[in-house]
Amino acid sequence: MKVISIIIKDLKTVLSDKQAIITTMLMPVILMTILSMALKGSFISSDDVVVEEVKIAVVKQYDEIIDSEIFTKTLEEKLDIALTGDEVNPEEIFFEDFLGSKEVSKLINYRVEEEERAMELLAQGEISAIIILPEKYIYNMKINLLTPFRNNVNVRILTHPDRTIDGEIVASVMEAYTNTMSSIIIGKNVLIESASANDIGGEGFDNIDEVMEGMTDLVEGMNVSIENITVHGRQSIKSSDYYAVAMMTMFILFAAGQGGRMLLEEKDNQTYQRMVIADISKTHILAGKFFAIFLIASIQITIMLIYSYFALKVMWGDVSSIIVLSITSAFAVAGLGIFIASITYRAGNYRMANLFENVVIQVMALFGGSFFPLDLMPEIIQKFSFISLNGVALKSYLKIILGYNFADISSDVLILALTGILFTIAGVIIFNKEVAENAKHSKIKTA
Amino acid sequence: MLKVKNLYKNFGNIIAVDGINFEVKRGEVFGLLGPNGAGKSTTISIISTLIPPTKGEILFEGESIFENSKNLRQKLGIVPQDIALYPTLTGYENLVFWGNLYGLKGAELKKRIKEVADIIGLNGRLKDKVEKYSGGMKRRLNIGAALLHHPELLIMDEPTVGIDPQSRSHILDTVLKLSAQGMTIIYTTHYMEEAEELCTRICIMDEGKIIASGTKQELVELVNEKTQINIKLDNISDNMLQIFKGIPGVYDATIIGDTVTLFGENGSILLAEIISKALEENTKIQSIDIQKPNLEAVFLHLTGKALRD
Repeated sequence: MKVISIIIKDLKTVLSDKQAIITTMLMPVILMTILSMALKGSFISSDDVVVEEVKIAVVKQYDEIIDSEIFTKTLEEKLDIALTGDEVNPEEIFFEDFLGSKEVSKLINYRVEEEERAMELLAQGEISAIIILPEKYIYNMKINLLTPFRNNVNVRILTHPDRTIDGEIVASVMEAYTNTMSSIIIGKNVLIESASANDIGGEGFDNIDEVMEGMTDLVEGMNVSIENITVHGRQSIKSSDYYAVAMMTMFILFAAGQGGRMLLEEKDNQTYQRMVIADISKTHILAGKFFAIFLIASIQITIMLIYSYFALKVMWGDVSSIIVLSITSAFAVAGLGIFIASITYRAGNYRMANLFENVVIQVMALFGGSFFPLDLMPEIIQKFSFISLNGVALKSYLKIILGYNFADISSDVLILALTGILFTIAGVIIFNKEVAENAKHSKIKTA
Repeated sequence: MLKVKNLYKNFGNIIAVDGINFEVKRGEVFGLLGPNGAGKSTTISIISTLIPPTKGEILFEGESIFENSKNLRQKLGIVPQDIALYPTLTGYENLVFWGNLYGLKGAELKKRIKEVADIIGLNGRLKDKVEKYSGGMKRRLNIGAALLHHPELLIMDEPTVGIDPQSRSHILDTVLKLSAQGMTIIYTTHYMEEAEELCTRICIMDEGKIIASGTKQELVELVNEKTQINIKLDNISDNMLQIFKGIPGVYDATIIGDTVTLFGENGSILLAEIISKALEENTKIQSIDIQKPNLEAVFLHLTGKALRD
């Protein structure tokens, strides 16, 4: 009952402080909205990016021999030309000249797989993308490269939702490939047109009128469609998803900062002494503060979850996982708050709490990926991301959004819980020690 | 009700409380009078079980408060020297919180808050935030928070410091009312007038020691046969003080600000001598008055310094 009274009083105290409300509740909502909007469309994120080498699988849906035979047959029937098509080898162009080139091979490591196996590998995260070369790829490419005709080639790229950066890399490289191929095709057609105009080439171009019809939109002859597929129910991360999580996990730290002032404020206001005289134990006082911080963080999380869900359309994923993770995050924040409160109480001034709010939270935010996705940060920062409580929470929330199971975030949940416990124990020890020292040596104010 | 026996408290090399003894009887208003730094608040803090003594014993209802603090804490109301309230909460919320801590709840708490609000005269202002209260109103609420659980012993530590005369008067009336209801009160102050007005018995403290104790009458009797003469001069010097001290019949003389205070027998004869000496020294007298002995005089007599020093 007494602990509940302390909790209610602390909550009322915090909620009656307009500046505190702005800092802890309003600011994150505004920031997540601004950042989501500002970075919409351009945002990419991943939790495991290997920029040096993206592993992909290439699926051949075509049959090279059949395609080549059809090509020869078609030319004979339609154009009355005896052409084997051996002059160009689209497979060689794609695999050796393109994927095997020095520049591309630095970025992309490919293997050729059956479609089913490739999908398995993508689902397991073994590869980041699949390039699917469609049926009649060889036939269509030969037509495009050797004849004035234009056949549509639709290359599909399937990317792993967790590895959108890898997907972007593969897509960009493929786009460069299709642009190059289109340029070659255009050049070839210009050559044919010129030959026709100058009556070069003889009988082979008897049906040139028919040929010319297909020339105008040759640039569109080869398309690449990129599909960010859902693997085992996982979704990709949008800017609104990322910054909803990033701001939420960063700003709950301010609850710890606020809680960090509570004990010394009680002492300075003489209310701490009054509570002791009212026979309220240190344990009750600390427990009251702990749960007050816990509830403030929980209120923050709840507000941000609801706001981002309705206003930013963030799909938070599995509700039970979100609840467990939110409770654990608030617990860790409460433990941290008690620790800061104790060292602030021991210091006898608010420098520690100020330092935490003005420096430590910012450093944690940076190292935890609340400002920028960790993938974009220098390696050294990525290595030290584990020091940030918000970073652990952020990673776990993103995993839930991506569709991971609770088992996948259980280790992070455990880390958060342990962090909370350790900070609480440290805070209790420091506080008890300080109270004992105070009773022995402190000079109290006299009238 | 409360016995303080041979109490000491050192803070390092500083002796804050130096072997004091006193007893507070049930139903009385017991005054601890002394200047700043006399050791009053330290004594109060030890009685309140906030800090342990270096040595000594305190018995509440015959039981050591250091062995069993619970009994005392349940029956003790404390009005700290500072405003021990939550400024961003309303007066009502503050009273609810402190009432809850003493186990009051529901209708009982509401009823008690109303009663207390009547006593402290804040019934119409409890919905306001404490930060919007005047200094006097905060002091009154500070007292109210200590009254909620019907304490048997109320300790008031300088409850009138820094407030307007009207609020001060209200607080003094409240103390008298509570005393009339039978509450035992320990009242610390450095205002001699308050101690005179309120307290049935008074301990005068200085530098951690009790230098005198008793009823007001008993204390005043210590200087009863003496006359106190206060002379305000244009130019005060140590030489002048020595001259005054040399007047036959003057027991003691001291300078406080621009006033010389003399103690001696037979005021009218002394007065003539004093004026004569001042004229001889070519010192202009601005004012002169003869006072009846009071606690200020007692303190001055015992310590050679003023209470407000």
